[in-house]
Amino acid sequence: MKKIFFGMCLLLIVVSVGWAGGMKKKKLPPYDYGSVSINNYSQQSGMAPVLFDHWLHRQYATCRLCHVDIGFGMTAGSTKIRAVDNMKGYFCGTCHNGKLNTVYMKKIFESCAKESGREEYKRCTRCHVLERSSIREEEFERFAEKMPKERLGNGIDWEKAEAAGLIKPADKLEGVSIIKPKLKVQQDFSLKSKVDGMPDIIFSHKKHTVWSGCELCHPEIFVGIRKGATKYSMVDLFEGRYCGVCHDKVAFPQTDCSRCHSKPPQEK
Amino acid sequence: MKTTSGFLYSVVVLAMILVVSSFLTEGRCAEPTWRVEFDETCAHTTDAMSLAPAELEVLIAKCEHLQKIIEQLDESTSKVFLKRVLMCKNLYQYVLDDKKKSPENSAQ
Repeated sequence: MKKIFFGMCLLLIVVSVGWAGGMKKKKLPPYDYGSVSINNYSQQSGMAPVLFDHWLHRQYATCRLCHVDIGFGMTAGSTKIRAVDNMKGYFCGTCHNGKLNTVYMKKIFESCAKESGREEYKRCTRCHVLERSSIREEEFERFAEKMPKERLGNGIDWEKAEAAGLIKPADKLEGVSIIKPKLKVQQDFSLKSKVDGMPDIIFSHKKHTVWSGCELCHPEIFVGIRKGATKYSMVDLFEGRYCGVCHDKVAFPQTDCSRCHSKPPQEK
Repeated sequence: MKTTSGFLYSVVVLAMILVVSSFLTEGRCAEPTWRVEFDETCAHTTDAMSLAPAELEVLIAKCEHLQKIIEQLDESTSKVFLKRVLMCKNLYQYVLDDKKKSPENSAQ
């Protein structure tokens, strides 16, 4: 009887911890990591939600170009994109407009259509998809094959890919981006680890500013300018705040500890 | 005869210069005033740290003025540019607050 009672208590504790802390997230397949489903108005209009793949787009544009200059929000659905916005040349329609794009040197298909013919419908279903097609998965595999490998996320080391010239993400679009003075190279800095034995964090300010600019992170994500002004813990990060706004969602996952906690112990 | 052909040549060259320059300036002139003002105001996000508090205050005021104009535009344009102008205004405000907290930075 005691054993049953003890077993029941243990089960209750496990279930409560799982319920309170959130169950362990299912590991996504590499092609699905960073994909976003956008469904503000699609289903109301009789269309499937838009399945947006970050891996497909981040090879062409920096985070800054899309999330600052084009104006996409940082969370799925926060931008509330309408077909009419795209047709006016905003959001997806900034590049997906059927015109020759001078950055990518190719015509990119139009994002939304006023008409509803067979040809237009085919175009709609390139983004509005009910289920992921095997064609897109194969496309990912072909792309990933040529890229430097990474253990987690979508299995691609994007930083190395850019350094090796395998991808050249654009940071400016004519008529959209503002001509600005060149950003002063920001110094990388270290952040003390809170756990004994865990190496300190080396934060690459340089890499983050090149891809994200200043206003994408400050002040919305990181409120303090001075090092150490914003206090946060790993719990905050895993809950999607601070570094967790991008890491775990699109940028490499936070479970890849050594990517950030990289300062060799002897240098402490 | 020589003078006439020389004159004609100059006229043709001048006309060509005018056509080329009109093409080059077309994009800029076609932009509405608020857009030109927006581009100028938000062009300092990369060097905001080197600006003096007074300069930052002027930029913040310009952002607030632009915000009012942008709110009157059509929904699509307003959605994009309100977000953009707020992002740059918030950054200027953030840098200004820091400079006020630590006066050694405001001397720049």
